[in-house]
Amino acid sequence: MTIALGVLQVVLLVIGAPLLRGIVGRLKAVLQRRRGAPIWRPYADIWKLLHKEDLVPPSASGVFGLAPLLLLVTSILATAFVPLLTNSALLGSAGDFILMVYLLAFGRFFLALGGIDGGSAFGGMGASREALVSSLAEAPLLLGLVAVAIQASSASIVGMTQWALERNFFNISAVHLLAFLALGIVALAETGRMPVDNPATHLELTMIHEGMVLEYSGPNLALIEWASAIKLGFMVGLLIALFAPWGMATTLSPAALGLAVVAMLAKMFALAAALAVIESGIAKLRMYAVPDFLGVAAAFGTLAVIFTALMKR
Amino acid sequence: MGILETTAARVLSAYSVFLFLTILAQAAARRFSTNVLLFSLQSAIIAIQVAVIGYHEKLMEAYVVAALIVLLKVVGIPYAFFRLIEKLKSPREVISATSAAESAFVAVGMIWLSYGAVRSYAGGVHAPEDGLAAAVALILTGAFLMISRRKALVQMIGLLVLENGIFLAALTTTFGMPLIIEIGIFFDVLIGLLLMGLFVFRIRDTFDHLDVSKMRKLRG
Repeated sequence: MTIALGVLQVVLLVIGAPLLRGIVGRLKAVLQRRRGAPIWRPYADIWKLLHKEDLVPPSASGVFGLAPLLLLVTSILATAFVPLLTNSALLGSAGDFILMVYLLAFGRFFLALGGIDGGSAFGGMGASREALVSSLAEAPLLLGLVAVAIQASSASIVGMTQWALERNFFNISAVHLLAFLALGIVALAETGRMPVDNPATHLELTMIHEGMVLEYSGPNLALIEWASAIKLGFMVGLLIALFAPWGMATTLSPAALGLAVVAMLAKMFALAAALAVIESGIAKLRMYAVPDFLGVAAAFGTLAVIFTALMKR
Repeated sequence: MGILETTAARVLSAYSVFLFLTILAQAAARRFSTNVLLFSLQSAIIAIQVAVIGYHEKLMEAYVVAALIVLLKVVGIPYAFFRLIEKLKSPREVISATSAAESAFVAVGMIWLSYGAVRSYAGGVHAPEDGLAAAVALILTGAFLMISRRKALVQMIGLLVLENGIFLAALTTTFGMPLIIEIGIFFDVLIGLLLMGLFVFRIRDTFDHLDVSKMRKLRG
């Protein structure tokens, strides 16, 4: 039963991720007083791309075709660590948060390789920028997770969620507040969102993710788009599981599960709205200011870890 | 105690955490107006704390002090700063000797240091450790802002943050000073700010900019 539920959670997140992206896009459009695309647009995009011809640059090697597949697989595997509806996850007992972080890094590594393999100048530029951003985002991501892990005395995401579930909202400590800020900034950077990367533009000077995938087309691009949507869903799910898991089903009764679904959708919508507000309200940082931005996140993460020691005594 | 009161007590007892957040944000802020808004927020948190102590200890004076803080530090001084920015037409960006990330890390170090400094002392005077640590961290960060920022305006913010820290230290150790002394301190702050404002104009008129680091040329 728990395995079935674990599989169901992963499938729901993987299938629902493009919808989340569509909702963010729509909310942004509303905030900017545009009409915007329908929220189902990402599905249509993926469907369209899947039926197009796959063009591979003549200079590309096997890595070029392998990268999107590996990215998708690692993204899906990473989502299997995150509890959504009940406090259990398919790979909850199979690995700790460090495995999860480096699964994501593995996928990113191959995407960067694919970007370079495409042979265009923009691919290499995007890949080098992605490498810079992701190596800088790794420190605050791990620091934030370590702080929460120390507080919960558990290295698995399920254990950390359990710890938060046993407390009510106002018992959440300084550690959680600081770790949330650190991970929130990282989530913006990792999913290629506004202050770090602009997902809506193909302007040469600024693009990171878009530059990397410029040579991809057809089904390969569809896989990449889907994987990046999954990554957004994963980050949102992770933030909810670590910092606001209340409402998750503790029993497997239909009523509890129904409530859990409603709570999860509401929280995801709230985070999507927050993301839309951030993206509409903040200007993109210059590339050279990005390390500074992530450095601030690292400072928050460091203080979170320091506070775990200060609070214990 | 009702659920609302428990909630309020929880949130209020976490005030030092919010103060730490404003400290970090001020160290990392890249724009002057953000810094001013954060100072206003910081003062508001302290004002709420003063009002809470007044409610707890049944002190009418505390309400007067809280009202004075709101009037002066939450509304008055930030408003004056925004007027100053408008009049001076100086660039909005904070020019700092350290980058935002470095400043944030220094602020983190200050907070850690303040916990270390306060630990042995807080038990002796029966003061809440978090509050006292927040006060010391405010003093240290204020001093750091004054040292590291290159523009006269931001250095003024640093001084005000420092003053906030001293006020909070007095508040957490002794539940605040007598009203007449508080009022005296407020006047001091106000006069000090007026003088600094005048100086800023003089600096601008003499040197055409507010960058303090360039004033070394005076020495010839």
